[in-house]
Amino acid sequence: MLTAPPLSLYIHIPWCVQKCPYCDFNSHEFGKGKGQKEIPEQAYIEELIKDLDDDIKHFSLTNRPLHSIFIGGGTPSLFSAQGIGSILEQVLSRFEHNSDIEITLEANPGTVEADKFKGFAQAGVTRLSIGVQSFASDKLIKLGRIHDSKQAKVAAKLAKEAGIKSFNLDLMHGLPNQSLENALDDLRIAISLNPDHISWYQLTIEPNTAFYSKPPKLPQDDTLWDIQEQGLALLTQAGYHQYEISAYSKTGKQCQHNLNYWQFGDYLGIGCGAHGKVTDTVSNQIHRTVKVKHPKGYLDVNRQALDKLVTVTTDELPFEFMMNFLRLKQAFTLEHFEQTTGLSASIILPILTLAETKGLMIHTDSNWQVTELGHRYLNDLLEMFLTI
Amino acid sequence: MKHIRNFSIIAHIDHGKSTLSDRLIQHCGGLQDREMAAQVLDSMDIERERGITIKAQSVTLDYKAKDGQVYQLNFIDTPGHVDFSYEVSRSLASCEGALLVVDAGQGVEAQTVANCYTAIEMDLEVIPILNKIDLPQADPIRVSEEIEDIIGIDATDAVTCSAKTGLGIEDVLESIVANIPPPVGDPNANLQALIIDSWFDNYQGVVSLVRVINGEIKKGDKMVVMSTGQSHIIDKVGIFTPKQRDTGILKTGEVGFIIAGIKEIHGAPVGDTLTLFKREAEKPLPGFKKVQPQVYAGIFPISSDDYDNFRDALNKLSLNDASLFFEPENSSALGFGFRIGFLGMLHMEIVQERLAREYDLDLITTAPTVNYEIACTNGDILSIDNPSDLPPINNIDEIREPIVQANILVPQAHLGNVITLCIEKRGIQKDIIYHGNQVAVTYELPMAEVVMDFFDKLKSTSRGYASLDYHFVRFEAADMVRVDVMINGDRVDALAMITHRNNSVSRGRMLVEKLKELIHRQMFDIAIQAAIGNNVIARTTVKQLRKNVTAKCYGGDISRKKKLLQKQKDGKKRMKQVGNVEVPQEAFLAVLKLDK
Repeated sequence: MLTAPPLSLYIHIPWCVQKCPYCDFNSHEFGKGKGQKEIPEQAYIEELIKDLDDDIKHFSLTNRPLHSIFIGGGTPSLFSAQGIGSILEQVLSRFEHNSDIEITLEANPGTVEADKFKGFAQAGVTRLSIGVQSFASDKLIKLGRIHDSKQAKVAAKLAKEAGIKSFNLDLMHGLPNQSLENALDDLRIAISLNPDHISWYQLTIEPNTAFYSKPPKLPQDDTLWDIQEQGLALLTQAGYHQYEISAYSKTGKQCQHNLNYWQFGDYLGIGCGAHGKVTDTVSNQIHRTVKVKHPKGYLDVNRQALDKLVTVTTDELPFEFMMNFLRLKQAFTLEHFEQTTGLSASIILPILTLAETKGLMIHTDSNWQVTELGHRYLNDLLEMFLTI
Repeated sequence: MKHIRNFSIIAHIDHGKSTLSDRLIQHCGGLQDREMAAQVLDSMDIERERGITIKAQSVTLDYKAKDGQVYQLNFIDTPGHVDFSYEVSRSLASCEGALLVVDAGQGVEAQTVANCYTAIEMDLEVIPILNKIDLPQADPIRVSEEIEDIIGIDATDAVTCSAKTGLGIEDVLESIVANIPPPVGDPNANLQALIIDSWFDNYQGVVSLVRVINGEIKKGDKMVVMSTGQSHIIDKVGIFTPKQRDTGILKTGEVGFIIAGIKEIHGAPVGDTLTLFKREAEKPLPGFKKVQPQVYAGIFPISSDDYDNFRDALNKLSLNDASLFFEPENSSALGFGFRIGFLGMLHMEIVQERLAREYDLDLITTAPTVNYEIACTNGDILSIDNPSDLPPINNIDEIREPIVQANILVPQAHLGNVITLCIEKRGIQKDIIYHGNQVAVTYELPMAEVVMDFFDKLKSTSRGYASLDYHFVRFEAADMVRVDVMINGDRVDALAMITHRNNSVSRGRMLVEKLKELIHRQMFDIAIQAAIGNNVIARTTVKQLRKNVTAKCYGGDISRKKKLLQKQKDGKKRMKQVGNVEVPQEAFLAVLKLDK
């Protein structure tokens, strides 16, 4: 029986000072002759709220409480604190929510100063996600980042001083020419800044990026493996628990917003190219939304933000559930699967059992968990849930 | 009938046969200029892409000669590659004459010699034509001498032309009219028509290309296929101009098509004789000699659901490819498929391509092998075309491999390289004759060495100048062994090869290394071993993949990540599972790539 899971909200701010060569997110440079000279902040905020109201109306969401908010990009910290404040105020007035609702904002260390962080805190941001990527200057240049290692450290310090409750450092490994020691040094510095959360993920060359068309020289497989193993040990020792493939946190500091994605919760996506997923318990269906991708189209007042609306077919659901939940270290229950997909667990049991014989999963009663081996070969495990 | 001329063209690849035929068609107005797609007779896509002719085709042309009379010229096209000599003899059987087209620069090639002898044996009038006369390196006098010297026919009156520029085309046509005799046959006798070729058309059913030897055949006639005794009413009769044109009748000596609504693919076998139901001929025409395949390979559908489609496709292909031999094969590694006999490697490649393209089948082909004769200790003689059928070593008295006689024509400058190649391939020189600049050298070689890549190597070692013709002579005892391949301890029958003992260790080593390149890293180490009996002669390991996981995945666009995984899974589906190991299709042909 399909039950409505927690509902989160993702807000996309698409502008960046400069596009990074590894980035495949929907981001657009501004002020550089191409694109716009200045970010049309006010107009964009108006469109965001219109977009949100359309979603609320379309999916009849007035009675559902809001679980979390995540403002990502692009570089949301390019927006003024007032702008962010105005968005949050209008959003929160439309939903029931807990007073301590998690509100994350992504920040680029090259775009922040002390006052701005304070402003964000006052605007209601409770969690800052700082895109550090590395503390090594040569690596930052290679990655096309506009900040240096000093700014990265300053940003971490400012976040704490500004009174933002919790902060995350985004860190990459497996960077061009990176040695094991380089990677571990980055982690050590990150740990020394005492963040609540570290997102530590391996650089992946995605299609439609500068790195894809001109691939850099990446570390050997064996080096990558050593980085993975020793980095995990370092993080664990420092009190950061891995709860997802690339997410580590201190106890109780997991990112509630991302956790909701992975637990196959619902989320609205507003802003350029944002994706959403909404469970409709009336029609017993799960819908996915995609918004107009380019800022020019999105800002067109005569055009509605919704670009695509699809209903997830029942044969896609098991895979979509697994693609999210199996990233987590925690177990899922068959009841949770049934509630969030509306399907009978008997559909997936044969596959789960097969995965268990391969040592990729393990279970007690109705709790199913991915093994350490299963997480190493997660793609092979997930493939098993593809229907054809 | 005295205005009919039936002829073929014998030519080596690249000597301009297709261009010449285009030119003849154009001259006689068979097609408007705008319809002249280059090489109109090569209607199979593969033929045009590879620039070769595989199947016999025909075209009927009306030519108004200088004597004022209109002649019906029936041109039956022939393939030029060494693998397809059988098709050539089929085409020649329906003609009274043949044009021997030789590149006036390059001279005579071995394949041409062989086909020319076939034509002479069949009592055809052979007219030498020197093509590409416009090129600066053309040397008609030398090449005429070569023709006389090597083939032994009079070339003093050889017609010179350039199919490319159109020079001398009229002379070629006049020579056909003047020198090729008209067909002989009795118009009043009972019908005897020879099926030169048959193919399956999805809309028309079986279409047969026939040569009427005696009598005549009309639309509406009830005809009988003599070998099966089955009768059919004829729906359509006509000629190719080269477009299909209904004429309603084919008379004695003419060549054209017949469609009789035959749906069953073996309803009109090539080489069979057609006659009329009311006035049945006493006996069939001689037909064609059955060819023996020279190379055998297993072909298996990737998905076992495709087995029936695969069998149907083979049945359809074999309708007009009498050389295609097949029987069911069951492999422990690859499941149910067919053991298929081919005329040679090119033939195999073409059949593979046609199955993939025309029938949309996903197939795995195993490494080809020749036919061995096994003398068992109990006195039995076995014929083995599959390494995995080889009896246990203790039961084998001796293994005999097929030996061919290879006739090679090569310019003197490249003779040394050719001899080196033949020695490397375990050849024994039998004869060597110098004809001016060209040398005719004869070797006896193991067929296994010749059918694989010998032709390609011969070409590259002689800068393309050497040419080859070969035929089976006998089986001969040799010290052959079977090399087995084990993947993580599982013996893979489809990877076994038979090889000479002296080469077995090096080939075994190359094979495991090649397999290591082809088998991708998986969740565990994969041991690849080559062994003779229980004796491991080479081994290597594909190291395990440390991890296979997507670093980042947030709510956002999961559909793209899903597509990536779907692609990965589709790739694996095209592989075969050996124990736990996924083995890609190419691995089963790795044996072929050892010498490269």
